[in-house]
Amino acid sequence: MKLPALALFERALRLETRSPLMCWSRAGLLGISLLVLFPIQAMARAGWYGAPGLRFLGQMVWVNLIFITLAGLSYFASAITEEKEEMTLGLLRMTELNPIAILLGKSTSRLIGALLLLLVQVPFIMLAVTLGGVGLPQILAAYGTLLAYMFFLCNLALLFSVVFRNTTTAAVFALIVLMLFFFGHYWAAYLEQSTALSYPINLNRGVWPILTAVIGFWHDATPSERLGAIFQTGFTGPVVGFQIWSNLAMGVFFFVIAWIVFDPCTREEKDSAPARQWLWRRTSRRSRIPAHVIGAKAITWKDFTFLGGGKFGLVLKFLVMAVLVAVCNIFLLESGSKVTSEFEGWTLIWISLISTIVWLALEASRIFKDEVRWKTLSSLMTLPISVPELAYRKVAGALIGTLPLLAFFVVGVILVPDKVGDFFDTIFREPAVFGMLVVVVLQFILFLHLTTFLSLVIKRGALPLAIAIQYLGGSFFMGFVSFFLFAGGAGVASFVIGFICLVLIVILHRAIGYRLVRAAAEE
Amino acid sequence: MSESNQPIIEIRDLQHAYKRQQALRSISFSVDPGSIHGFVGPNGAGKTTTLKILATLLKPQRGKVRVFGLDVVADYKNVRRKIGFMPDHFSLYRQMTVQEYLDFFAAAYGMDLAARNRVVGDVLSLTDMEARRNDLIKGLSRGMQQRISLARVLVHDPTLLLLDEPASGLDPRARIELMEIIQELRRMGKTIFISSHILSELALLCDSVTILDRGAVRYSGLMSGLNQSNGETADYLLSLGEDHPGVEVALQKISGVMEVVKDAKAPQYRVRFQRKQVDPNALLRVTLDSGAQILGFQEVVRHLNQAFMDLTEPGVPPMINVGEQEQPVPPPPMVSGGPA
Repeated sequence: MKLPALALFERALRLETRSPLMCWSRAGLLGISLLVLFPIQAMARAGWYGAPGLRFLGQMVWVNLIFITLAGLSYFASAITEEKEEMTLGLLRMTELNPIAILLGKSTSRLIGALLLLLVQVPFIMLAVTLGGVGLPQILAAYGTLLAYMFFLCNLALLFSVVFRNTTTAAVFALIVLMLFFFGHYWAAYLEQSTALSYPINLNRGVWPILTAVIGFWHDATPSERLGAIFQTGFTGPVVGFQIWSNLAMGVFFFVIAWIVFDPCTREEKDSAPARQWLWRRTSRRSRIPAHVIGAKAITWKDFTFLGGGKFGLVLKFLVMAVLVAVCNIFLLESGSKVTSEFEGWTLIWISLISTIVWLALEASRIFKDEVRWKTLSSLMTLPISVPELAYRKVAGALIGTLPLLAFFVVGVILVPDKVGDFFDTIFREPAVFGMLVVVVLQFILFLHLTTFLSLVIKRGALPLAIAIQYLGGSFFMGFVSFFLFAGGAGVASFVIGFICLVLIVILHRAIGYRLVRAAAEE
Repeated sequence: MSESNQPIIEIRDLQHAYKRQQALRSISFSVDPGSIHGFVGPNGAGKTTTLKILATLLKPQRGKVRVFGLDVVADYKNVRRKIGFMPDHFSLYRQMTVQEYLDFFAAAYGMDLAARNRVVGDVLSLTDMEARRNDLIKGLSRGMQQRISLARVLVHDPTLLLLDEPASGLDPRARIELMEIIQELRRMGKTIFISSHILSELALLCDSVTILDRGAVRYSGLMSGLNQSNGETADYLLSLGEDHPGVEVALQKISGVMEVVKDAKAPQYRVRFQRKQVDPNALLRVTLDSGAQILGFQEVVRHLNQAFMDLTEPGVPPMINVGEQEQPVPPPPMVSGGPA
């Protein structure tokens, strides 16, 4: 007998399980299992280390944890927001489906599809027992941890998906909460200890024991801590531990909250047009575009202004960078150290480098995606310019947005010229180090290409998927290649890996152009 | 052919397929400069594919497509400078104001600041959107967004406008206003190639039409040619005061008369004859000589709606390689009764 409340769930589940992306994901995870398995077995045979089964299990579980976190964020967070963005949630609400049916249909079906991704690995993971060094309870405990964590993550993201209007915002908020969940207990414990040291407080009296217990539960509820314990040799804990129960309970809690807030949060259907970030509406009848911006330069101006926030975006980024540097200085002073030009220099260099990497990754995921999503690519493609020119002009617009970040980098270099000089001196003196630097740069360029390409191919989650692919591909494939090539020296390994990266970059570069033409024609 | 008479659009044996689906089966037609050319056909006929090829968004897989005599593949940049393509969806940056949006495209087409300020004002005035200049596009109604789309197409002053379903989803007032703008654009000397499902409006607007069905051209030529159903034969409706059996026999005896069909319910006759052989006045004379009282005598003119229905009916053979303006149309089946 079919229940109307489960109609959407059943349909969504059928589509999810049959979707080619899910099939590819399953095949990909199985492929990764093999990629992990072979080098471990080879190294164990060579006598490099014992307990290869435990090592195999450990690597697979950590890969899964990272994959679930990265891909799951956008996958689960888009459950309701994708309906809001396409303005179809109102139609769903007009049917006899109640909020529970919609939540089950849109989110729980995804959860089951993702759970199947994990379960399909279990028979292969059992090989770990054969390899040795690990017992069946450890495998069950590890995969139970992952399943419970996925349940928690799915419902956390679902709550934000109900509350917010677009997937990006929902995913960002889910990520912030997740970061707090993973690392907040360290900070809370530090704060508690610092307070106890600074003030005459007895941690065994009043509310303090309760706080200490809460922090302890928080610590035990995180999958990373639980996995750390499971992978200890001679693990004797229960298969279903506190982490599983707590994660399941939190998942149910978030689902109930999502159900309660569903109606007030989705009652009004709002236009999902992109926001006008940091820009005021100018009422002048004259052009906003500078006089010298003529021809294809206008595309650069458009992306710089409307995607990167324009001049206000530059100022804002500058301020954010200044705040980050200030926070680093506060931590330094708190630790009782002195502020030196060397510290300031390296802080500026590292913060600007990391910020540039994050900004460029975000830009890569949306630079063309937004044009495709809002069906504006066809009007750009009928401009009298070639596809590469259009693409490079857009990229230039995104790069202008990194100017404040680069300014901080330059200031950092000026503050520690001798250290930077030493760094480059080492690089140019040692070809192997130089080769590794080139490989790192090429890997980043490859990552940007991969993100851009995926954003044109898949509906959502291009950036997390690119991170996952890059991480897995980088750590396994490149590691695999370098393992066999190191016999010929680090230089040879760098050259081969660099060459592979370069080939992949060229292929993806061409593929992006092809996809752009196709996307414009398909609009 | 002189330069001025050269067709603005020239399509020869164009074929295009999506995987196994043949979207266009060797279609050919041309469009004269300064005309409004209607492009009609049922859903999935291949209209949007043709428009996208003309707009240089799709490459033709086979055949020749020339716009202003330029190849749409080899000379795509020059073609793009001369055309304005309005797709069947809103291709708008909805976070921009109307002014910013038009200004951006004017700049992208290479206009300097002074020209941009002038052109944006002109196109807003033409589309009657001056008052909404500083409004965000996402706050505008559907009709207004459609006008902004049209204004965007006009910023670089193209000679040829390719409009894909410009009136779809608009209310009657917005549709009428859009049609008025299109007529104004024709008066300004632009050639307009318009795809639409609203046949009654196209019939009033267009000089020529191409009817496409299942990837093949069913008719391409002047609207007048379509209305007269066939260049060689004519259908007339003869209405009498009362039944007169001798009239049918007398009419059939006239050389060149192909068919006389009597209406079962009214004293009316539908006469089909060869235009070259029969003078319609001869039909009148024969009828009067038979002693019948004539109440009405008029040529049966097919409307675009009827022509569309006749030509896109399953079983009607495609007219592949129709290239010239005046093409014969297969005669529709004779229907007894009133005019179509």
